[in-house]
Amino acid sequence: MSTTQMMKGILDGCLLAIIKDREVYGYELAEQLELYGFDALSEGTIYPLLLRMQKEELVTSTRKKSTAGPKRKYYSLTAKGEQELEHFIGRWEYLQTNVNRVLKHETASDESQGRG
Amino acid sequence: MYAETELSAKSRKFLEDLRVYLFSSGKHSDEIDEIVEELEVHLMEAEQKGKSVEKIVGHSPKAYMEQLSDEMPADFKSWFKYIVIIIFGSFSFTLANDLMEGPLSYSLLELAGHVVIGGIFIVGTLTAFKYISGNQLSKWKEIGVLSVLTLVPIGFFVGLIYFNRAVETPVIHFGVAGTILTAMAIVVFIVGISWWAKTWVLPIILTLLVLPEYLLGLTALDQQTVLVLSTLISFGGIGIYLFIVNRAERAV
Repeated sequence: MSTTQMMKGILDGCLLAIIKDREVYGYELAEQLELYGFDALSEGTIYPLLLRMQKEELVTSTRKKSTAGPKRKYYSLTAKGEQELEHFIGRWEYLQTNVNRVLKHETASDESQGRG
Repeated sequence: MYAETELSAKSRKFLEDLRVYLFSSGKHSDEIDEIVEELEVHLMEAEQKGKSVEKIVGHSPKAYMEQLSDEMPADFKSWFKYIVIIIFGSFSFTLANDLMEGPLSYSLLELAGHVVIGGIFIVGTLTAFKYISGNQLSKWKEIGVLSVLTLVPIGFFVGLIYFNRAVETPVIHFGVAGTILTAMAIVVFIVGISWWAKTWVLPIILTLLVLPEYLLGLTALDQQTVLVLSTLISFGGIGIYLFIVNRAERAV
């Protein structure tokens, strides 16, 4: 798996998590990602992901008027999207734990027996 | 209300190219509108904060357009509509032209050739628009690509005329009654298609195809010159018309 592919799956999860907090439109989403530290990303990267997530019915969108400029497209999670977020969190925790163990040279049995 | 001038020329160019790219990739026009508008909002806000277009679309606009395109389903229904219009439209034109010369008769080769060339023209048009919008071409290169696009079908049509003289295929004679029926069918077809597709594309293209040859035929020019000139004007005009339509769509 290439870094970009790995990133995509992770970004999907991050987008779901941000959208779960509140309804957001594209620019806000990109800004939030940047605030959380994903600042090397091209901001437009989120749109193909949003298109796919919409196709997979993980998110829905409504268009709302803004004070200046054309209508903004706001995203919110569907029930399926919330489920997917749960799955992502599970996968992420599993991955994170294992990667950390590898980096710290621990094995799964070390932890269950208490360190020793 | 918003002024489009708020966007930099570079962003506007990107949005225009994206629209043409997605259109020639056969995407649903309402979905194209939606994503272009969404990116327009994004680019406007980003530019207000002093961000460059590259910060949004990355360093390869083409790669980014492809990413978007990959996530959008193709609109086969609309494309079927366009293909029917173009192939039958080109037929109805040839028919309209030949009607002025009395009862119709065509060889099988001519009939098949028209469909094939129509198909080549459609594929060529889509490929050319996709290429132009995806790659940052200079104006001259753009004109070059469009010239090739218009010259290739002309070459094929001229080739078909000579090939048809050299090769014998069964000829279908329409007779007087058949010719009148065909003429009526053409009129019904043109009116019907324009009404159904809610577009003036066919009448405009038909006019571009029929009028130059008819008008030039009234002049003292010899037949060969009339043929070449009128074909050039016709296909050049259609190319330009389609390009204008594509560009104008973003203004809707």
